[in-house]
Amino acid sequence: MAADVDDGASRACAQCLRRSWLLAELSAVLDYSCRADGRLVELLALDDEQLMLAIGGRRREELKRRHADFATGELRSVAGVAELCRHDRRYPRALCRSDAPPLLHVGGGVERLGRLAAGPVVAMLGSRRATDYGLEMASSLARGLAASGVTVASELCDGIALASQQGALQVDGATVTVMPGGIDVAASGRRRPLCERLRRSGCVVSELPCGVPARRWGTAAAQRTIVAMAAVTVIVEAEDSPRELAAARIARALGRPLAAVPGRVTSPLSGGSHALLLQGARLIRGAADVLDLLYGARRAACAPEAAASPWAELTPRLKATLEKVGAGMDTPGKLIGEHDDRGELLLALSELELMGLLARGHGGRYLPRDPPPPAACPPLVERAHRRSIGRIATSGR
Amino acid sequence: MLARAHTFTIDGLQTRHVTVEIDIRAGLPAFTIVGLADAAVREARERVRAAILNSGFEFPGRRITANLAPGDVPKVGPALDLALACAVLAASNQLPRERLDSHALFGELALDGRTRGCRGTLAVAEGTRQAGLRTLVLAGERAREAQLVEGIEVAVAESLASAARVLGGGAPDAVPSLAPRGSRGSSTIGPDLCDVRGQQHAARALVIAAAGGHNCLLSGPPGTGKSMLAGRLPSILPPLGRAEAIEVTRIHSIAGALAGELAVDRPFRAPHHSITTAGLVGGARRGWMGEVVLAHNGVLFLDELSEFTRPALEALRQPLEERRIAIVRAHHSAIYPARFMLLAATNPCPCGYAGAGERCACSEAELARHRRRLSGPLLDRIDVLARLDHGVAHDLGAPPLMSSARARERVLAARERQAQRLSDDGVTVNAEMDARMLSRHAALQESSEVMLNKARERGMLSARGQHRVLRVARTIADLNGNERIGARDLGTAIALRPDASLAESRAA
Repeated sequence: MAADVDDGASRACAQCLRRSWLLAELSAVLDYSCRADGRLVELLALDDEQLMLAIGGRRREELKRRHADFATGELRSVAGVAELCRHDRRYPRALCRSDAPPLLHVGGGVERLGRLAAGPVVAMLGSRRATDYGLEMASSLARGLAASGVTVASELCDGIALASQQGALQVDGATVTVMPGGIDVAASGRRRPLCERLRRSGCVVSELPCGVPARRWGTAAAQRTIVAMAAVTVIVEAEDSPRELAAARIARALGRPLAAVPGRVTSPLSGGSHALLLQGARLIRGAADVLDLLYGARRAACAPEAAASPWAELTPRLKATLEKVGAGMDTPGKLIGEHDDRGELLLALSELELMGLLARGHGGRYLPRDPPPPAACPPLVERAHRRSIGRIATSGR
Repeated sequence: MLARAHTFTIDGLQTRHVTVEIDIRAGLPAFTIVGLADAAVREARERVRAAILNSGFEFPGRRITANLAPGDVPKVGPALDLALACAVLAASNQLPRERLDSHALFGELALDGRTRGCRGTLAVAEGTRQAGLRTLVLAGERAREAQLVEGIEVAVAESLASAARVLGGGAPDAVPSLAPRGSRGSSTIGPDLCDVRGQQHAARALVIAAAGGHNCLLSGPPGTGKSMLAGRLPSILPPLGRAEAIEVTRIHSIAGALAGELAVDRPFRAPHHSITTAGLVGGARRGWMGEVVLAHNGVLFLDELSEFTRPALEALRQPLEERRIAIVRAHHSAIYPARFMLLAATNPCPCGYAGAGERCACSEAELARHRRRLSGPLLDRIDVLARLDHGVAHDLGAPPLMSSARARERVLAARERQAQRLSDDGVTVNAEMDARMLSRHAALQESSEVMLNKARERGMLSARGQHRVLRVARTIADLNGNERIGARDLGTAIALRPDASLAESRAA
């Protein structure tokens, strides 16, 4: 079938629209056929005919007929959601592979998506059921990356993904969010405000047309898109289970650089990250490590050693408290030993919190956090990275 | 033949003066009661008839009409029996009438003519004084309660015959002696704080909360002793003052929870989490008081806070803010005092083991739901968060932290300081200070001033959050005997504040 030229300025070509329609039709069957791991990416790599043949079942003939008769009007278009197919110049080049989605429904503007995808994109994924530590790491990593002009790509799931997006939003950074279903319906009520915000400041993308509810396979499909779009995939915190490491497997299959944030060795919730590290994923301690990975050793030039200074200035008392909290004695109850002066200790905790070195989680639990960057630094870093962004874009990566 | 007697009916926490008018005329024998009487009052006809006959009087075999004036006030309960019976006797010339104008009659009648005490006696005694009546005639079991009110005479009548004697100018019965009660005199009750091992942090936070009357939230995994600690709060609270005790007695007497004497202990109400909104704040029917009212001048303890229904928790906002509860329903409205200290306990997550990640089996969505229920307006009104952890082994073998008696001494000393400072402002504890009082009384030392400014600059404290921290800091300074709030006082208060600085990154 020849690629038709699109019939309207805003619409994609009929072939790609037809593909999107077919996925929506097969959504329930796909969910069923992908219960076993790993088949999804292969299935989605099939062309339309093969896909109908593979999982069409009894509806095969009917689907074939409707597929042949497909008119682009059948897909309802929603205001504010544009369609971008791979035959469009603006389609992200990183996605130009056979198994990437041929058509994206884009909320937030095609131009913006093109701009963001041309720049550096880092995928931040991980467990939906993360610890306070994982959430704090995700949010501070995303903050650092977004402040350096890197686009954070993620899904709309609880846990790490959500914390990453919130982190990026805190510094008004750009995000690309890939939805597991139609853009207008995939966000549940409680996440809708966030989704709207992500759409205003970044892009929200889906492979399925509007109105198609999210299903389980959509999450894996979204991860495939995220990983394909990103230059680096960072797994912030994940259990050692196939479900939570699905994104890592996809990244490996696509040959994309993989990185992971270590956690406490005793915590099963970090087991997956540790397994990835063992298998050769890059170790991430902070945003600087990700930037290193993106730009090679450029970091030394643009990020001076000043980052470590807030620690050096601490009095021994505060330092000892901070070390104890870092070692897992993270509530006042645990910190108060028999010899400690309680008032002193609580004062130290409050002082550290005021300095931004500790954050207070729910239920009165403390956890260490990255010190806030000095106010003057970010613009410099950003400029340096913007320059390198241009270089990467022209080198055709 | 007309006779008139005075009695009272209870409407919310107020008493309404009721005049019982009896008219006896020739006609077929009948006994009719008019004037918005409820079922208990209408049944009084049978009790009154039997009691009169069994006391050796004669029940007039004519047409009797009883009017309860004023006609627009609903009359509830059996306490009008005595007044009805005496008025019938007076109207049938078996009793002189002159003393009926200066005596209030209050009590239920048994069929054999004996009297029984009724709910709300203290309120009725106050009503008697306000109505300008000289004597209150009532059953002996509630006499002590009525004697708490000065300026009226309390005449005990153990039976209808005694009441007739009193109204005829005779001597009343003797006030019965009190049944011995374990906790009389000293008000140290319940379990002692020295039973608690470990949990120093939480215990001290509880002392701070008790000293300033701050609302307090205990958070920790199951089995760490949240409920145990909460049960020991009454033992470190200061005893009730006379005025407070009268208020408590009036409320609990009307609710029927207290029998016949001045309350000694602060109320400690711990409703189960299945409680309805109406059960918590009241208003299920006319005159029904909720737990917040019954906890007035005491403690309302909500265990498993996150299991309470959302409407019930939301309904707590007004009483926590205004220290009273206004109930408005279709047929009745009332305002009750509700000045209580809220003590709540909760697990950090539905399964209870959140935080470390190792044992918690809750999904992020469940956590979000749990936190949504806790967060927001209710948490905004809680000043102190005490975190409990599983104690290490040596904690359980450690010597007790402090006894309730010692803790109470400290609390009392701190309250003394507060009362002196706040004497002109009409409040008694730091928790009730508003912004204006805070600016006057919460003076900061230089170092703490710097600290507070820093917290404000970093956006850690909202305006309301800052007030809460200052109130708690003022209490800690009072406990430590500091005139101005020091850095340690403020640091402790900041560390005890209930809001999480991570909250913004999780709400979605």
